[in-house]
Amino acid sequence: MNLYKYASPAMFYPLAGKMIPWFSTAAAILFAAGLFIGFFIAPPDFQQGEVYRIIFIHVPAAWMGMFLYVLMAIYAGIGWAFNARLASMMASSLAITGAMFTAISLVTGAFWGKPTWGTWWVWDARMTSTLILMFLYIGFISLQASIDDPRKADRAGAVLALVGVINVPIIYFSVQWWNTLHQGATIRILQKPTIRGSMLAALLIMLAACWLYSVAVVLIRLRCIILEREQNAARFAEVGV
Amino acid sequence: MNWPDLSMGGHGFYIWGAYAFSFIAIVWELVSLSQRKKALTEQQRQSSDNVPASVLRGSTNETTS
Repeated sequence: MNLYKYASPAMFYPLAGKMIPWFSTAAAILFAAGLFIGFFIAPPDFQQGEVYRIIFIHVPAAWMGMFLYVLMAIYAGIGWAFNARLASMMASSLAITGAMFTAISLVTGAFWGKPTWGTWWVWDARMTSTLILMFLYIGFISLQASIDDPRKADRAGAVLALVGVINVPIIYFSVQWWNTLHQGATIRILQKPTIRGSMLAALLIMLAACWLYSVAVVLIRLRCIILEREQNAARFAEVGV
Repeated sequence: MNWPDLSMGGHGFYIWGAYAFSFIAIVWELVSLSQRKKALTEQQRQSSDNVPASVLRGSTNETTS
């Protein structure tokens, strides 16, 4: 029995399947290019020497952690407000990748903090708010996992995601609002960036690679979620529950 | 192009540690995703091999009646 045609987000399923190889290939190429520029072409930093090269993974990962959370909250909210199942499934799919990027940003930050600040961790505004972001992701994922009915799980998750979204601007502006050990923004929208061209290029290429990677992985997981839910629904229907 | 010094001016442990963790995290995500996919196709194959539920339901009805 082919369950695909029974998936109600049926139009999206094959489309996602066609998009995945393009996004994965582009992500792999850009990861390679970004790391090459970051390690072979970008010069050492005049203040921090070589250790600043952690920036090429740390900053894109931290950005992705925040972007994906906002995206997750938007999808969860749409799924809740309009009873759109695909949007809710998208939110569930985004959560795991967002959590992974947040974990990367916390750990690479610790690896950067030790040699530059002399400590792996401090309870400063940005790091603490990023840790809260991690807990919000973990809370969202475990909350959804603990509820058997997928639509109830979607609604409960949406509430948590939407309440938690307030944390994202707090993370972003924490370096301005509070006196913190964490350095300020490297790239500003309205001003010149504070780094050299090749460093900036490596950083932006790595960011693009992280985006493409996220799209590919989130779509693969979304397809799994679609199938899992349809299978469960089909099984219940067969048994006559 | 400059060939980078692997010791990274004494900071190699931190830089490679950070990148190693990131690499492991990404590989973990990809592996767990492919396992999820595999389990799903396995389940799908099994459910299509099984006797349809309607048949089973019919048989239980017979025994209870």
